[in-house]
Amino acid sequence: MGLRDLFEKDVQELENEGILFSTLRKLVSWGRSNSLWPATFGLACCAIEMMQSTNSRNDLARFGSEVFRASPRQADLMIVAGRLSKKMAPVMRRVYDQMPDPKWVISMGACASSGGMFNNYAIVQNVDSVVPVDIFVPGCPPRPEALVYAVMQLQKKVRGEVFDDKGLALPMVEGWKR
Amino acid sequence: MTKLRVAPGPAGEAEFETKPLRINVGPQHPSTHGVLRLVVDLDGEVIKRLSPHIGYLHTGFEKTMEHRTYQQGVTYSNRMDYLHGFAHDLAYVLSVEKLLDAKVPERAQRIRVILTELNRIASHLMFFGTGILDMGALTPFFYTMREREKLLDLFELVCGVRMNYGYFRIGGLAYDLPEEFIPATRAFIAEFPAMLKQYAALFAKNDIFLSRTRGVGVISQETALAYSLTGPSLRASGVPLDHRKANPYSGYQDYDFAVPSANSGDVYARFMVRFTEMTESLKIVEQALDRLTPGPINDPNRRISLPPRSELETSMEAVIFHFKLVTEGFHPPRSEVYVPTESARGELGYYIVSDGGSMPYRVKVRVPSLANLQALEPACLDGLFADMVMNIASLDPVLGDVDK
Amino acid sequence: MSAVALIQALGSKLIDQPQGYPAVALNPAQLPDAARLAKEHGFMIMDVFGIDWLTYPGHRGKRFTVSYNLYHLETNSRLFLRVALNDGETVPSVTGVWPGANFLEREVYDMFGIKFSGHPDLRKLLTPDELDGHPLRKDFPLGETPTLFNEGRFLDPTAFRAGLIGKDVGLTGFRGGARKGVKSRD
Repeated sequence: MGLRDLFEKDVQELENEGILFSTLRKLVSWGRSNSLWPATFGLACCAIEMMQSTNSRNDLARFGSEVFRASPRQADLMIVAGRLSKKMAPVMRRVYDQMPDPKWVISMGACASSGGMFNNYAIVQNVDSVVPVDIFVPGCPPRPEALVYAVMQLQKKVRGEVFDDKGLALPMVEGWKR
Repeated sequence: MTKLRVAPGPAGEAEFETKPLRINVGPQHPSTHGVLRLVVDLDGEVIKRLSPHIGYLHTGFEKTMEHRTYQQGVTYSNRMDYLHGFAHDLAYVLSVEKLLDAKVPERAQRIRVILTELNRIASHLMFFGTGILDMGALTPFFYTMREREKLLDLFELVCGVRMNYGYFRIGGLAYDLPEEFIPATRAFIAEFPAMLKQYAALFAKNDIFLSRTRGVGVISQETALAYSLTGPSLRASGVPLDHRKANPYSGYQDYDFAVPSANSGDVYARFMVRFTEMTESLKIVEQALDRLTPGPINDPNRRISLPPRSELETSMEAVIFHFKLVTEGFHPPRSEVYVPTESARGELGYYIVSDGGSMPYRVKVRVPSLANLQALEPACLDGLFADMVMNIASLDPVLGDVDK
Repeated sequence: MSAVALIQALGSKLIDQPQGYPAVALNPAQLPDAARLAKEHGFMIMDVFGIDWLTYPGHRGKRFTVSYNLYHLETNSRLFLRVALNDGETVPSVTGVWPGANFLEREVYDMFGIKFSGHPDLRKLLTPDELDGHPLRKDFPLGETPTLFNEGRFLDPTAFRAGLIGKDVGLTGFRGGARKGVKSRD
């Protein structure tokens, strides 16, 4: 099949022969979305459910999160699992800053998303005020299936398939909008 | 510090003197079991000084519970030690019931014991999974989590949630057990001993496990008592103190179970004590299930327990009691109370000061993990840095418990 | 030796709180001897905590109580030592007797501001360094942020709770309704 055939046949025929067309952006997004490696940032009870989401029943590894990297330099996803106390907030910001771009944040649980049941002097009332959050997961604690669903939604966002109510595509990384 | 001799160089033999190195471990670290920060002074690989810095999970539980009614306090208590949440719930409701002089019916007491002991098994399973993970072995984690999922399914049957339950009420329970619970629990009891044998085969004779745990992190009996260590770690140092036997509560005196203890006080002893405790907890669950009889699950006193929902349709007093109990809550007499219980980590008790209002005046939680964490320093001193990880794992601190 | 024998040895006043356990009232000067005596008799320290009596209705006496929860293994008996003190007074530390009191006393210092003289390392334990003040004191506010709803409505949790139980709603008194000047979204 020569170069002439490539130009003369149409896309459908070529796809049947095994030649796919895409953009570089879509290819890279596909790779990124299917290999999100979380950094271990479990704080409290939600961390236990995050660990449960990696066990054999709810296997997060089949979505690409094969390993939870201990070093933030090798991770691209930070799952804030648990209540963020005001003493821990600067530490969390440092860990977030150490992650290389592009990086995403899932705020897991009610305490990370809004302070949860702890409306007091010690707990940060919304993790979004410290790091830019992409996905909020409600629950106290959210079931492992809920966390897996959140990771799936994040994968859609990374691929650029999520739109807000005005029809504009949401940015791939929340932090790039700010 | 230490003087080292190096091989002869061009100038002949030389002597080195090492300098101490201060490093920081955590608070974000995979093997600190939560947000624990340690500042360690090292001489080579040997720990010379260890100082834990905590407070990275401080949530202000005690202050918040002063602004919530007594019944609402049940939602807060299990979030402290989230791995053995029922122990905190039980300790809290026992304290409030002692304050009110409430009579909890026998069925409620037995169900509470069943759930607390199943939760103890789940907590120890997590201890094993993460403890051996800290040693570098991935596989036992998946095996213990498999069993833990079955236990969480049982809890979901009863309470509706896998973790952070809201099932205990002052005076009894929220609602009765569903019918599927007892056959499901009996199925679990039937298959769990075989699983325990599987775990024993996985690690009990493993050379690496034995060399990393035997003789490591020895805490002598005097040190343990001086540092107010309680729970399985104390029992591994030779003191067979268990509040389920010493100060029985909620019907524990009716059950026949042993309290495992060991004498060596090393990491291996702490692992094995918890391993044996799982079998004993299973015995308690089986006995409690055998003695479970149908009956009421709440104190009939209308000033404490909510009326049954069917009565709300017909009786006006029931509606008024319900309204008052839910919005304002009951008013215990002015008093102070403390009930010591045994959680998976040690002695747990809620010291409640009541001023006659509907919210407690002061709630002090005697958490086992805070005192247990102090024993980390004597266990790690003059040991290797790698052994520090095993010491933390074997003392089993839960930072939600430590920081409250 | 059991708790009762220790109390007799201490010669101090016996009070009956908490329910079911003997408690002894001490002043700060008597504490070191009492602690040493307890340790000799085999008591271990289980807990050190403080109580702030500022808003307790009908309380006459000093503002704070530091309570020591001691447990005797052989006789399975428990004893509480209660030390009464006012704001600014110090309590001698018992870390020389029981090293396990280290973190426990630091927590009381952090939460109440009660200083322990002779403590090897008295500094904050749980709260961040930026937080000034001692959270568990009754004059320290809980620090609740108002609950926000759409269209400028918000709830002040303290006033809401007080209104529920029929108490005085306090200075803000705000229990719902839109902020003045904020228009509805539609």
